[in-house]
Amino acid sequence: MQANLNKRVYLLGLDFGSTTSSALVASANVSCSSATGRMAFTEPCIVFRSEPVFTPFINQSIDTDKIRSLIQQWLLQSGLTPSQIFSGGSIITGLAARSDNASALSKQIVSIVGDSVIATADDPCLESWLAFMGSCSALSRYHSAIHILNLDIGGGTTNAAIGVNGDVLTTGCYFIGARHVQFIPGSYQLLALSDIGLALLKSLNINANVGDTLTSEERYVILYFYVSALEAIVLNETDFFVTINGQRHCQVALDIGSMLRHKIKPKVTFSGGVGELIYQCATEKPLPDTTYFGDFGIDLAIAITKSTILAKDLNRYIPENKGRATVYGLTLHSTEISGHTIYLPNLSALPLNDIPVIAKLSLDSADEMWQSAFNLAAHRQLGACIQLIDLNTTTSFHALDIIKSLALKIKHHYALSGYSNTQALLILVEENIGKVLGNYISDWGQSMQNLIVIDEVPHRDAHFVNVGRLHQQMVPVSFFGMH
Amino acid sequence: MQTLHQTPLSAKKLSNLDSILLPVPSATLPYTIKLHGRTFTFKDLKHLLGAADISKAGDRKAGLAASDEIMREAARALLSSFTLQKIFDTPLTNIHGRIDSVMQVNYDIDHSVFSEIAHCTLGELKDNLLRANGARIRQVGTALTGVMVAALTKLLDVHELVLLAKKLKTGASGKARTIVGLPGTLSSRLQPNHPTDNLSGMTMLLYTGLSMGSGDAILGLNPAIDSVANISATLHHLDKIRRETGAPTQICVLSHIKTQLACLKEGAPVEIMFQSLAGTERTLTDEFDVTVALLDDAYETMQISGPLAGIAENFMYFETGQGSELSYNKHDGMDMATTEALCYGLARRYSPFMVNNVTGFIGPETHLDNHEMIYSCLQDHFMGKLMGLAMGMAPCYTLHSQVTIEGQQMATELLTAAGANFFMDVYLGTDRMLAYFDTSGHDDQTLRETYNLKPAPEFLSWAISKGIFIEDDDGNVQRGVNWGNPKIFCTSNGQFDASEFQRLQESVPAIYGFENAGARPSNRVMRLMKANQAIGREAIYADLRPAEMGNIALRELHTAANNKSEHLNDPSLGAILADSDLNSLSAENNDVQIIISDGLSAEAIHHNIPDLLPVLLDGLNGRKLKIGQPILAPFGRVKLAESIGDALAAQLVVTLIGERPGGDALASRSMSAYFAYRLNDRNTQNAAANFSGNADMRYEYSVLSNIYSAGLPSIEAGSVIAEKVFEILQHRAAGNRLENILQHLTV
Repeated sequence: MQANLNKRVYLLGLDFGSTTSSALVASANVSCSSATGRMAFTEPCIVFRSEPVFTPFINQSIDTDKIRSLIQQWLLQSGLTPSQIFSGGSIITGLAARSDNASALSKQIVSIVGDSVIATADDPCLESWLAFMGSCSALSRYHSAIHILNLDIGGGTTNAAIGVNGDVLTTGCYFIGARHVQFIPGSYQLLALSDIGLALLKSLNINANVGDTLTSEERYVILYFYVSALEAIVLNETDFFVTINGQRHCQVALDIGSMLRHKIKPKVTFSGGVGELIYQCATEKPLPDTTYFGDFGIDLAIAITKSTILAKDLNRYIPENKGRATVYGLTLHSTEISGHTIYLPNLSALPLNDIPVIAKLSLDSADEMWQSAFNLAAHRQLGACIQLIDLNTTTSFHALDIIKSLALKIKHHYALSGYSNTQALLILVEENIGKVLGNYISDWGQSMQNLIVIDEVPHRDAHFVNVGRLHQQMVPVSFFGMH
Repeated sequence: MQTLHQTPLSAKKLSNLDSILLPVPSATLPYTIKLHGRTFTFKDLKHLLGAADISKAGDRKAGLAASDEIMREAARALLSSFTLQKIFDTPLTNIHGRIDSVMQVNYDIDHSVFSEIAHCTLGELKDNLLRANGARIRQVGTALTGVMVAALTKLLDVHELVLLAKKLKTGASGKARTIVGLPGTLSSRLQPNHPTDNLSGMTMLLYTGLSMGSGDAILGLNPAIDSVANISATLHHLDKIRRETGAPTQICVLSHIKTQLACLKEGAPVEIMFQSLAGTERTLTDEFDVTVALLDDAYETMQISGPLAGIAENFMYFETGQGSELSYNKHDGMDMATTEALCYGLARRYSPFMVNNVTGFIGPETHLDNHEMIYSCLQDHFMGKLMGLAMGMAPCYTLHSQVTIEGQQMATELLTAAGANFFMDVYLGTDRMLAYFDTSGHDDQTLRETYNLKPAPEFLSWAISKGIFIEDDDGNVQRGVNWGNPKIFCTSNGQFDASEFQRLQESVPAIYGFENAGARPSNRVMRLMKANQAIGREAIYADLRPAEMGNIALRELHTAANNKSEHLNDPSLGAILADSDLNSLSAENNDVQIIISDGLSAEAIHHNIPDLLPVLLDGLNGRKLKIGQPILAPFGRVKLAESIGDALAAQLVVTLIGERPGGDALASRSMSAYFAYRLNDRNTQNAAANFSGNADMRYEYSVLSNIYSAGLPSIEAGSVIAEKVFEILQHRAAGNRLENILQHLTV
């Protein structure tokens, strides 16, 4: 069953933010990881990395014509045609994620690249997860017993994620970033303030408006606030974010209290644009000139390197892809690969997009839960997904009994739910039992042509799932809506 | 730097084949001798040569080995009395009575030297060589054909094989970027094989080997896929690693010579051209798809347009090993040592950079145990060196023979004493792709330390600069601080890159760790490795235990192999039913017949069948197929399906059989499912014959492998097998023809 010796696939990542947008194309093999035994993208190699460009807006609305030519230009530069792209992701944040903008962007992406790329908007926890995976995934597996807390500091947000042995345990998101306060490059003369930046200055009693130049004391006070906030995240000082000012800066709190109570002290890494500058500073490489980027990034990076709490691990735990961690994570980690023995009686059933994940069920779940999940699923005209959990088929001596019981249960509740055979029923399992479960449910392919069972996909807390087309016996699976 | 390098076989113009002086074959005559009151008659020179050797499994199977010690000594006595001229005049011909192309090349000898020694008997030659110095022995070697060398070798004991080979160390080197085979050196081929040709996996194994001072002979990969695209990709990757690490060595991907020529044409760095050789034209051409003309073409191409033209003096790399001709049953009546010597006579034509001998690779049908393997290795090393070749050795074994790691290690000690140019470095001795066991970088370093040897001088300088070795003022070389630390090559901006290292590690199966105890792996690593190997060995030698097959009633039938030993040593016996059982069967005309057999791993059956069989039967019953009662057939092989399929008139036979174990404990419990579709109607048979080009085709085969807990788990496999059965029966096709049909349906 060696299906894909050195047959590489291409993956696309698109990142549309408030300020800048960028693209990344990577190639990778689809093969079995010796570490996990699962199918995964291996031997990743970046084949194209765009320069960041300003996201084109017309009065806060996305400029669809320019977006269109931008995506086309990226594809041209990468030398790929849309049909060559196996999977990918697009993340839309900040102003670009405003609902009308996000919708317009998604349409453009689908019309140019096709449905192999999944667009997700305003999903801060997904961003934190992606930034961790893009920067610390391999590092965390190398130091497999150590918890790593990654802070991805960009223009508008700090996306925090803590993980161990390559898995993210929890995430958070804070409005701490370099571009809430913007300057004329080369000076500290205020060029613009975000709403949050304006409120911050007010709360810190800094009476400065656009056009004014911040004094060194004023800059110190702002940076002190940011550094204190980041230290509070690392130390889990939740009180910091109870204050009005603190609340304003917290979108989703990172909860690492139980870890700290268990005396787990995570190592701290950084990514994002500011993260890149932090490591430049820590290794004494020259930094760009004063406010070169027209924001607080360089000053914030320097301030962070002076914090003993934040800078303690800078020289020992060095993440990858720092400035591009999110888009790298998006490109390589937003898609899971199924096992190569899935149950798929009808190839044309794929791709499936925006399928709601209705429930996570185990054999022990109450019958009411099973029935209610199937009833709910039956209302989704385009199909629905059910994740099966805690099956223990790899360790149990009665694995076949478990599978047969599951099949009976599914057939039973399916029959009672009024599910139509035109609606896809997507079942996801972690274990390598896709074909056997599908066959027992469908009486060995003699019923339920709408059934798809995809195996070897790790569970993810997500609201929606997309499944791409079959490729060498496997399918790409992506999750989104990870609040 | 040593300056003893001589290149008597430096890049040269090939001789015209038609100009080689050949004897005229004549009718073969028997040879008779009396010894201690017994009379021995040998049918011809082939039988005499076979009987004069120690008894080896392959020669026994071919009916060539002496039946006892006295017969062997009688043969040796007779052989000792033969002059070289007599052997020259008695060419060993092929099945058509002709001198084949391999034998023809063997006659390409130095006639001026031959005229000096032609009158010598083999006994006299042996004594003369033992009295001579290395230069004279080497000179004599230029006048000998492979048959003469093989005949001489059968008169030598272990000490003589070691001593004479040791005298030939000087002058048996090859020169590419490095000089391999200088006195005082022991080099190695770093073999980063990976089951899926994963480039990261190769990188990890290369970093590991280089950090142990391995790879000065060559970075040489056995690929999993022999396509131009894949070979080019892997060549470019090896080249990249060579350049990045700065290691002064050369690279090779051991694909077919035609593939390498195509890669070279496309600009891939084919620095050294590889080919496996055989000692008979039938094996070389029919099985290896190679002719002397093709080898000539490859050699001349490398001289002109190889990337090392102008740098290297030698461009070719050959592999050989006693028994390949016999395992294909194309040995033309010759014994294993003689056909091996004929390989060297062919190799000699191309002045190879290195010749690697992999005796032990095939299995118990050629070499049953340590004694046979070790002695053959010593013979081969001596024979190659006498014929002027840059001989390296890969004493190796598979788990289904009785050769053990201890025997292999003894072989390496003796071969190092004999002056072998190089050994392999297979990480911890376990090849992840070929499921066999070879020498490791630890072994190579252990032998260098034991015998006070160094790597090739150019490579040594580089390794010292990397802290892998240190050299004291007296010129003694020891392990440096970085010996065995692959992390030294995994850096980014001058710092160790933990993320990249992690990715590389994750791409190699069965990495047991990097801790060392001096030149050896740490005890923890060694115990892990050997425990895994023990499970593999156990899987082969365990007998099937019917009580561990689950609750489904099986009918037991017997193959022609009466016991485990017969089963392992003669693959043909497991492919047919015992007569009594065969006669008891009659046509049942079922859609599907399931056969369960241990094959080469009974444990694979015990671990998979109890879960798999119920699922498979549920599936077949679910589709209301007619199924014969499943059969249990111990000591079976894949082709047993045909014997049973014919007798029962089953449409499709599914054989569930244990795979040959490698060095990974879990994988040693791996089973395969073979689907043998019986082509019993004219239309289907025509379609299959047209598709395959084989007009006599009776069965079409599909296969599903890697059924084990870490591959395709047994329950899921039961379902996959059932679906494959549905497909085969629905489309009345199996194998590539079925896949072709399915592909067209998808499109």
